[in-house]
Amino acid sequence: MGVSLSKGGNVSLSKTDPSLKKVQVGLGWDARSTDGQDFDLDASAFLLQANGKVAQDSDFIFYNNLRSSCGSVVHQGDNRTGAGDGDDETLLVDLSMVPANVDKVVFTVTIHDANTRRQNFGQVSNAFIRLVNAESKNEVTRYDLQEDSSTEIAMIFGELYRHNGEWKFRAVGQGFAGGLSALCGNFGINAA
Amino acid sequence: MAVSLKKGGNVSLTKEAPSMKTVLFGLGWDSRKTDGSAFDLDASAFIVGEDDKVLSDASFIFFNNKTSACGGVVHQGDNRTGEGAGDDEQLLIHLDKVDASAKKVVFAVTIYEAEDRKQNFGMVTNAFIRAVNNDDQTELARYDLSEDAATETAMIFGELYRHNGEWKFKAVGQGYEGGLPALAKGFGVNI
Repeated sequence: MGVSLSKGGNVSLSKTDPSLKKVQVGLGWDARSTDGQDFDLDASAFLLQANGKVAQDSDFIFYNNLRSSCGSVVHQGDNRTGAGDGDDETLLVDLSMVPANVDKVVFTVTIHDANTRRQNFGQVSNAFIRLVNAESKNEVTRYDLQEDSSTEIAMIFGELYRHNGEWKFRAVGQGFAGGLSALCGNFGINAA
Repeated sequence: MAVSLKKGGNVSLTKEAPSMKTVLFGLGWDSRKTDGSAFDLDASAFIVGEDDKVLSDASFIFFNNKTSACGGVVHQGDNRTGEGAGDDEQLLIHLDKVDASAKKVVFAVTIYEAEDRKQNFGMVTNAFIRAVNNDDQTELARYDLSEDAATETAMIFGELYRHNGEWKFKAVGQGYEGGLPALAKGFGVNI
């Protein structure tokens, strides 16, 4: 029922679901079952201004900073093994509370301790990001990532952004060399 | 003031700029920050006659053939990464010099090696193409490729055409399968 996006595609949330006020952003994946250490994938969000950087370090939402200072983005907690069907980690976004100077919220997934554990996204299958209307529970849009990021350890899954006065969502699915700390540097956060 | 184009929109140059002599088509995008191959967008132009085919192979203006025989269409050079702010590639059209037998000039944007690199306009940050009155630098029309042409890899942006002795611009905004080679063949260029 929701719009299924391909990589690079975008959709207007206001047009697809005019009643949308609170968004449940769900990220999910299957970690391959093998011997050895668990795959611990972490969802994060970056609230960005028009210049592509955060206004303050607390606009980087992750397992150690679950709530943005404006209260518009709330991380629902860390899943350390990928166990469980459906969304493995969820972030709740209240669109009306996003400050006017925030143009975009970027959702990323990184593999915790990837280098030490010698893990990468090539070992992860069925990765997806989806937006659900938190009030009606309808899935508004979904992006199922393709498995072509075998050497990546950090990925931008998608972004929520303003365009001509409405909220839109873009399926990104692009890897980022250097992991979470490089992602943070790119978005203007001081040493994560 | 510039018309922000969506697919199928159009703008009358005669109304916007009645005495315009030179039109600048500018193409821009941000260079890549994420992993993978660089995004290489290319602007090109086809000078076509009444049969909707190029007047000659030399009427296909692109990075390897920068000036038309008539001198009316001049490509300013290839940018392979999007490095630099503003327009990354430009085509200058001298309206008075365009060959008399040309019915129209078609403008296209393509992503170099899109299929091999698995790229589309939606993955390129801030990709756009615009038409500017080069005589006074006013922007007449703009198309946001990253936003409105997201899953395309090649597109006919628009066409400049003669009508009752005047030049007009129609925003086409249509995607084209097969990239630049297919576009060129479609206009009768021998590749």
